[in-house]
Amino acid sequence: MEQQLHEPVFPANRGYLKRKKVYNNIAVFFAAAAFVIGSFPVFHIIFEAVSIGYKYLNWHFISTLPTGFPIGAEGGILNAVIGDVYLIVIASILAVPIGIGTGLYLSLFGKKRANAFLRLLNELMLGIPSIVWGIVGFYVFSTNAGPGFHFGFSALAGGLTLGFIMTPIITLLTEQAVNQIPASYIEGALALGATKWQATRAVILKAALGGIFIGILLGVMNIIGQTAPLLFTNYYNTGMPTGVTGPGGAVGDLAMLIFIYIHEPSKILHYKAEAASVVLLLFIFALDLGLRLINYLAKRFIL
Amino acid sequence: MPENIKKDNADNIIVDVKDLNFYYGNYHLLKSVNLYFKKNSVCTLLGPSGCGKSTFLRTLNRMNDYTEGAKLTGEVLINGKNIYDKSVDVVELRRDIGMVFQNPNPFPKSIFDNIAFGLKIHGIKNKDFIVERVEKCLKYSGLYDEVKDKLNKSALSLSGGQQQRLCIARAIATNPSILLMDEPTAYLDPVSTSIILDLINSFKKYYTIIVVSHNVQQSGRISDYSGFFLDGELIEFDEAGAFFTRPKDKRTENFITSRY
Repeated sequence: MEQQLHEPVFPANRGYLKRKKVYNNIAVFFAAAAFVIGSFPVFHIIFEAVSIGYKYLNWHFISTLPTGFPIGAEGGILNAVIGDVYLIVIASILAVPIGIGTGLYLSLFGKKRANAFLRLLNELMLGIPSIVWGIVGFYVFSTNAGPGFHFGFSALAGGLTLGFIMTPIITLLTEQAVNQIPASYIEGALALGATKWQATRAVILKAALGGIFIGILLGVMNIIGQTAPLLFTNYYNTGMPTGVTGPGGAVGDLAMLIFIYIHEPSKILHYKAEAASVVLLLFIFALDLGLRLINYLAKRFIL
Repeated sequence: MPENIKKDNADNIIVDVKDLNFYYGNYHLLKSVNLYFKKNSVCTLLGPSGCGKSTFLRTLNRMNDYTEGAKLTGEVLINGKNIYDKSVDVVELRRDIGMVFQNPNPFPKSIFDNIAFGLKIHGIKNKDFIVERVEKCLKYSGLYDEVKDKLNKSALSLSGGQQQRLCIARAIATNPSILLMDEPTAYLDPVSTSIILDLINSFKKYYTIIVVSHNVQQSGRISDYSGFFLDGELIEFDEAGAFFTRPKDKRTENFITSRY
């Protein structure tokens, strides 16, 4: 009787019990291998760029305009750093309100069918190659062919084009962030007699703020590395811009600077391009930390 | 059926549901519900899961408005006025009808702000009034002594039972006349449950309370009136004494004696 109690209900598959540990180890191995293979290029790029361009990684490089012959042989990359700030600010002014607004609409206010259509449009926008955006920007903003903006090759034309690249990213992330908030938050607010906007502002926006900031961050990181759209809308300026439109409105840009320097038959410019890549990486890193800090402070004190 | 209750004193009726049908897409969820709620009484709506009792509760403050594919026919009269009339402002309506949900769902804000929220969204800016009102609501819900030193702490730091009482305090902050509760004790431990049932009993003086529940014992403790829902139909509605001791319908009897 006693023995019967300890007899298993079903026969144990001893072979499988042994093998399942092996399967587990294989899965762990593949995950670890994927991580190593995936992160290797990142470290390799940083290592290569630093080891080639280290000579120029100093404050002087960042804080002076390029001079000499060919242009850039002496001096630094201040034009590109300032230009990037111009482009990011202009693109953000366009993309942040539109992106967040569309994302909120999709997740809170929209009807099913309109939402499906808007999502499709958003995904299409995400998938449009940046060179196509460049052509669109060229016709719409730079020339007087389309709506007749005629901004010329300028920071405004380039920034707005980049803004359209940034918008769908922010929209996507905002929608996801808001969708992750438990529905009970908004229900609780609505049941108290809040309007949808009051509920959004008070409850949703605060809870989703982190996700929305990540959307903005990803958007900025994306546009900061874009060169193709700028080829037709802004190109490059070795000096400081005198405005944001028309002649003199063009700005320098780190990605364009790297693109141009690498094509010059000059060793020193190649080194400077590598150094500029490191600056670009640090720029992105600083932006990341900065936005995270803003996010933290906003969560803590403002809302 | 509710006629016997209505006869007693007709002007005491605050919510009057007439021939309410609710559809979700092609699914007929509530079938011709007729029901009355009297002022300053506790009414529990019983029924198995998925019988439509929560949906019914949510039709009383129009929370189903945002559900896509929902359609509703019939009338819900509150103080004699149909709340599905076009002229009715949903925001005003909900100020008069507080709601407590199954999951404690305090906002991710401080305890103070959770209760002040209801006042602020209705445009009250007087700080002294808000402070006074928050204190009063916390005292009513029996939470004041436990949280008076940490009003600025996050509401999410409270225990489940405390969170639910905070939600009740939040619901009464706007001084509603009706309080809807959707299984308010479903996720709570026995001690917290007991506290909340006592609260419901003491709130009868001020509010008309409608509780959805599937717990027969708890409902028996607090009810003045009770109704039984099954598959979207209101099977029986009666005074609690008669409902729990001498149910007229066999299906009701089966449910309250747990023979389902």
